[in-house]
Amino acid sequence: MFPRRCRIMSTDSTMRATINQKLTEMGERDRLKAFLGVKLTECGWKDQIKAHCKEVIKDKGLEHVTVEDLVVEITPKGRALVPDSVKKELLQRIRAFLAQHAT
Amino acid sequence: MKMDDLSLSGPDNTKLEALVHDIYSELVEDACLGLCFEVHRAVKQGCFFLDEMDQESMKEFEIVDKPGVDIFGQVYNQWKNKECECPNCKRLIAASRFAPHLEKCLGMGRNSSRIANRRLATNNNMSKSESDQEDNDDLNDNDWSYGAEKKAKKRKSDKNQTSPRRSKSLKHKNGELSSGASAEPYKYNYSVGINYETLGPEELRSLLTTCGVISEHTKKMCTRSQRCPQHTDEQRKAVRVFLLGPSALSLPNADAAVESDGYSVLDGQGLMSRLQWEDSPENSPTDSASSKSSTNHLDSRKPKKKKSAPAPFSGGGGDGPQGSGCQGSGCQGGGGGSSCSQGNIGSSNKKKRPKLPTVSIPTLYNDLN
Repeated sequence: MFPRRCRIMSTDSTMRATINQKLTEMGERDRLKAFLGVKLTECGWKDQIKAHCKEVIKDKGLEHVTVEDLVVEITPKGRALVPDSVKKELLQRIRAFLAQHAT
Repeated sequence: MKMDDLSLSGPDNTKLEALVHDIYSELVEDACLGLCFEVHRAVKQGCFFLDEMDQESMKEFEIVDKPGVDIFGQVYNQWKNKECECPNCKRLIAASRFAPHLEKCLGMGRNSSRIANRRLATNNNMSKSESDQEDNDDLNDNDWSYGAEKKAKKRKSDKNQTSPRRSKSLKHKNGELSSGASAEPYKYNYSVGINYETLGPEELRSLLTTCGVISEHTKKMCTRSQRCPQHTDEQRKAVRVFLLGPSALSLPNADAAVESDGYSVLDGQGLMSRLQWEDSPENSPTDSASSKSSTNHLDSRKPKKKKSAPAPFSGGGGDGPQGSGCQGSGCQGGGGGSSCSQGNIGSSNKKKRPKLPTVSIPTLYNDLN
């Protein structure tokens, strides 16, 4: 028999995969996504990021801007700009889901 | 592997926490990526910078914050005092009255047909069109016709009598109506009377049964009965002479008799005998004058069927001429009896009889007998 620790360690990636699978199958992932979108729009995060986009576009030129440019410029800022309240709430939800369905 | 074997111990917790955070990061990155795609697509489609234009256009649509003007810079009551030209009647109408005016003018609103019909009805009553032989009846029947026309008159007396709309809309609606031209001269004021400018057989018809005296100030014919207290017989005679010519002067009863087409049977005979009789009595000035007029009117009046025309022939007023006519034709019609040849007319005459003056009748009778 595997020791419990070993089991957990060895099944880490499997566990992750399983959880992710569950998240998707049960529709929780989509629900979380929608929730996040609403929250970010409410708190003005989307407008901030759009403004940042405009600057990037003006820098790079309207005609030649690519998706990659935008992604590279925006993702780090986007991640950083998420308000704490939103972050906390999302983490809470994920934890709850895990507690419910991972044990 | 059984997931339910896992328990939240210390190291597991961190694992789980890490997992939670990983899942969170994944979600946030998804959101960012979605936004990037959206923006990139908008840029490539050209709709990203829609709300930011050149300064010139921005100035054009700036919010206006001046008193007396709305945020677009437009004045509030700008069109209140403007006048609009009606495309139908070419009149200048106030803006606030424009819509109701159009309704009436074009004849397309809810009440426009009602008003038009009413106007048509009063027009028909007023105008002596060839085809309408009931007019004198209406005139003579004071009871109902006057009331109806007074009502119409009251409504119309407020309106401008000389407004171009009246004649134009009348022409527009009643193309066949002969009173199109005479509509304006015709006032719907029955108690005051018809405008004496009316011409033709209509005028004669109305003249013969009504008082007809022309008022000095209004220039209208009095439409009251022959016995109207405001005017004397002298005045009536003068009016008839003036309007119809000296030869046309005659008693209403005599003329009416001439007009009646109940004379189809003994037109010539009855009329001629009556005319002869009329020559003899000199009692009333109208009678002596009427003899000439009767001759003149004989031919013109024959085809017309006038109910009022036979009026004198019924009992009551014009028994004299009737009697003479009867004698001429061989009937022994006395005073009040309707002539045998004109039985139906006589009965209908009786209706009109009370209106005609009885002053001359005894005298005529005397002469007749």
